[in-house]
Amino acid sequence: MKIQATLIAILAFIVMPARAQSPLDTLTEADIADGKRLFRLHCARCHGIDGAGGEGSNLVRAKLKYAPDDESLIEVMGEGIPGTGMPAFWTLDEKQATRVAGYVRTLGRLEAEEMPGDPLRGAGIYRTTGGCPACHIIAGHGKGIGPELTFVGDRRGLDYLRRSLIDPADAQSQTMGYQDYLTVRLTTDEGSVDGLRINEDAFSIQVRDVGGVVHSFRKDDLIELKKVFAHSLMPEYGQVLNERDMDDVISYLMSLRSDQ
Amino acid sequence: MKKPITVLLLLICQSGYAQVSYERLVNAANDGDNWLTYSGTYRSERYSPLDQINTGNVKNMKVIWAYQMQPSTQAGNGLVETTPIVVDGIMYLTEPPSTVTALDARTGKTIWSWSPDMSDEVLHIGFPRVNRGVAILDDAVYVGTLDAHLVSLDAATGAVRWDVKVAENSSGFALTLAPLAIEGKIIVGVSGAEAGVRGFVDAYDSATGERLWRFHTIPAPGDPGSETWQGDAWQTGGGSTWLTGSYDPELDLLYWTVGNPAPDWNGDVRPGDNLYSCSLLALDPDTGELSWHFQFTPHDTHDWDANQIPILLDAEFNDKERKIVALANRNAFFYLLDRETGEFLHGNEYSKQTWASGLDEAGRPIVLPGTDPTYDGNLIWPSLQGATNWFSPSYHPETEQFFVATRLMGSVYYKADVEYEEGQPFLGGGEQALSGDDAAGAIRALDVLTGKQQWEFMLHSPPWAGVMATAGGLVFGGSNEGNVFALDASTGKALWDFQTGGAVRTNPMGFAVDGKQRVASTGGSTLYVFGLE
Ligand code: HEC
Ligand code: HEC
Repeated sequence: MKIQATLIAILAFIVMPARAQSPLDTLTEADIADGKRLFRLHCARCHGIDGAGGEGSNLVRAKLKYAPDDESLIEVMGEGIPGTGMPAFWTLDEKQATRVAGYVRTLGRLEAEEMPGDPLRGAGIYRTTGGCPACHIIAGHGKGIGPELTFVGDRRGLDYLRRSLIDPADAQSQTMGYQDYLTVRLTTDEGSVDGLRINEDAFSIQVRDVGGVVHSFRKDDLIELKKVFAHSLMPEYGQVLNERDMDDVISYLMSLRSDQ
Repeated sequence: MKKPITVLLLLICQSGYAQVSYERLVNAANDGDNWLTYSGTYRSERYSPLDQINTGNVKNMKVIWAYQMQPSTQAGNGLVETTPIVVDGIMYLTEPPSTVTALDARTGKTIWSWSPDMSDEVLHIGFPRVNRGVAILDDAVYVGTLDAHLVSLDAATGAVRWDVKVAENSSGFALTLAPLAIEGKIIVGVSGAEAGVRGFVDAYDSATGERLWRFHTIPAPGDPGSETWQGDAWQTGGGSTWLTGSYDPELDLLYWTVGNPAPDWNGDVRPGDNLYSCSLLALDPDTGELSWHFQFTPHDTHDWDANQIPILLDAEFNDKERKIVALANRNAFFYLLDRETGEFLHGNEYSKQTWASGLDEAGRPIVLPGTDPTYDGNLIWPSLQGATNWFSPSYHPETEQFFVATRLMGSVYYKADVEYEEGQPFLGGGEQALSGDDAAGAIRALDVLTGKQQWEFMLHSPPWAGVMATAGGLVFGGSNEGNVFALDASTGKALWDFQTGGAVRTNPMGFAVDGKQRVASTGGSTLYVFGLE
C-alpha cells in the first residue's frame, strides 16, 4: 500500500509540471467580465461582438493558430500579427490584456455540458453505422473531406453538434465569414468538377473533389461557376441513425476535448 | 566617343537631383515620368499620362524588380499602405510604422533609409501602425510619424533637417498621412478621433519647421459652427484629418477632409450636426481661414469619416463651365461640389446603402428613422469601413470617368455607454460586419458628371487598395487576395493580373525610368514594380 501511495505521489510530481502555469489561472469571474467589456471595446470591431469573426478571424475556436498557449494569446494582443490586419494593442496594459485573453479563452472552451448518451457506444457507431471516418479525421484516423474532429468538443456545443448531424447545411463553420466547406460545381469545355472550395480570388478558384484531388482553375476558363450555398456534402443523419445512436454519437463528439 | 558625353550629361542632370520646385509640383500632370505627390498631382487624379503600356500589350507586363520592406526595429509591425513618390530615377517610400527609404527606381537597390527614434509605447488607437507616404519639395522629403512628429529629411542622404512635434501622441494623436507640399509650406492633418482628440489641419514652414497656422476642425464655443455642439462635447469631438488633401493653385485653396465625430457610435453624448466632422473644408493656405465647408454626414453615428480623396476637375455642368471637386464618400454617396463656393451640384448613391432615402437639394442626406446603432445591434449598409475608405479613387480627365474601389458590405452596428479618458479608446460601440460570401468588392467606373455607373469589376472581398487610371486605357487595382490587375477602362474587363502573395493595401502609382513605363504596387510587405521589359 505504501509503495503505491509513493508511486502516485511520484507520478503526480512528474505529471504536475507538465501542465504549465498560465497567467490566466488567477483570473476571477469579475476579471473575465471586464475582459468581455474590453473585448467589445477593442476587438469586436474586427472580430465581431461575440468573437465569431468579421474583418478579423473567428476566435470561437479551441486552437488558435497564433495563440497556441495563453502567453502567446497575450503576446498577440501586445504585438499584433505582423503583415496582417491584426494590430498591436498598446492601449491595453498587461492586466487588461490578461483579462481579455481570459474572455477569449471562454469563447473557445465551452463549458462541459451534460452528455445525452453513452460516448463509448457512440465511438463504435461513429466508426460503423455512421461511416464518419470516410470524411473526418479523429486523432489521425479517417479521411479529411470535412473538418478534423479531434477536439471538436472544445469548440462545439450540444446544440451545434446535433444540428451538424441532422441538418449539416444549417451548421456550417466559417473562417473570416467564408463558409469553410462551400460546395461548388465548376464547368469547363471538358466537363464538370464538383467539390469543396479551398480558396478563391477574383481570377482563380481552387477546389478539392470528394476523392481528395485538388483542382485549380482560372475563372476565365470556366463556362460556369456555381456556388451551392446552404448545401452540405455530409449526409443528413436524422434518417440514418435512431434517436439513441444519435445521442451516443453526439456524446462521443462532446467527449473529444483537449483536456480529457 | 559618345559614351563619356552621355555620362557627363547624366552627371549634370543628376546634380540637380531631387530639386522639386513648387513650379514642378504645379505642373506634375505634364511630367508622367515622375510621380511627385501622394495622389500624382495637386488635383489628386491619380492618373498616369503614360501610354507605353496599354490595352494591347498589358498582357506582357511582368515584375521588373521587387523590394522587401524591412521588419521594423520596434516591436510589432504594421501594414504597408504607402504610395511611393518618384523623382528623376529615385523612389521615396515609407515602411511601417514611420521609416522613409530611398530606392534606385531602376533596380530597387536601397540608397538610404531613415527611421525615427520612436518609443515602443507609441499609441495608435483605432488604426494599425501605418504610413501612407512622403511629400517632396525642393531638396527635402517630409514625413509624418506615428508619434505625431513632422520631419524634414535631406532628399539626397536622409539626414534630418528638422523635426517638430505636431501633437501629443499620449493623447492619441498620430500622423499616418503623406504630407502635402505647396509653396513654402507643408500641410498635415492628424489621426486620433477614436481616442477623442480634437482634430486640426496644420501648415509648417518648409524651410524651418515653424508652424504657420492651425485650423481646428471642431470649433470652440463662440466660433462659427459651435452652435452644432452642446456642452463640453466639442473638447473631445474628434474630426481627425488623416488623409492628404488637394490644392488648387489658381483659386489658392486647399481641400481637406475631416473624419468622424467622437465617440464614434454613441451620438447621444454629442447632440447636433457636430461640424466640421465628416466634411470637406476649403482653406486659405496662407492663413488657414475657412473659405467654405460642406458636411456629407451631419451627426454621424457610423464612423463614416469623410477622409476620402477630393478630386479636382473642370467641366461643363448644366451648361456652365465649373470648377468642380468630386468625392466618393464612405457613406455610399458620390458628390460634385463647386470648388469655388462649396455649392452642392450633384449627388447619388454609388454603392448599396440603407441609411438615407437620398440627398435633399442642398446635398444633406435624408436620414431614414431607426438607422442609428443600438444596444442590441442594427443592420445597416455600408459597414463601418464604408462604401469606400482612404484608398484612392482615380479620374481620367479625357474620358471623364471616375473609378472607385467599392466595399459591398453591411454591418450590425452596436452602441455602448462610454466615458472619455485621455489616451484611451473613445468609441461607444462597435460592429459585426457581414463578411465572407455575404460581402464583396467591386471596382466601379462612374460617369463623373452624372455619377452613373458604367461598369463594375467584381472582387472576392471588400478591397483595401486604390486604383490608378492611365492614358493607355487601363485601370490598375489590387485585392485582399493578393491580386494586382489591369482593367480595360472602357469595359471593365480584366486584361492582366498577377498574384503577389500578400494582401494589397496600397494605391498603384506610375512612372518611367530610362524611357520605360513602370507601375508600382505592393502585396503584403513587398513592393513590386511592373513593366513590359
Ligand atoms: C483592425 C482589426 C482588428 C482588431 C481591432 C483586432 N484584430 Fe485580432 N485579428 C485581426 C485579423 C485580420 C486577424 C487575422 C490575421 C491573419 O491570420 O491573417 C486577427 C487575428 C487575431 C488572433 C489570432 C487568431 C488565430 O487564428 O490564431 C487573435 C488571438 C486575435 N486576433 C485577438 C484579438 C484581440 C483579443 C483583439 C482585441 C484586443 C483583436 N484581435 C483586435 C484583426 C483585428
Ligand atoms: C460524405 C462526407 C461526410 C460524412 C460521411 C460525414 N461528414 Fe460530417 N461533415 C462533412 C463536411 C463536408 C462537413 C463541413 C460542413 C458542411 O459542409 O456541412 C462536416 C461537418 C461535420 C461537423 C461539424 C464540425 C464543425 O466543427 O463545424 C460534425 C460535428 C460532423 N461533420 C460530424 C459527422 C459525423 C458524426 C459523421 C458520421 C455520423 C459525419 N460527420 C459524416 C462531411 C461528412
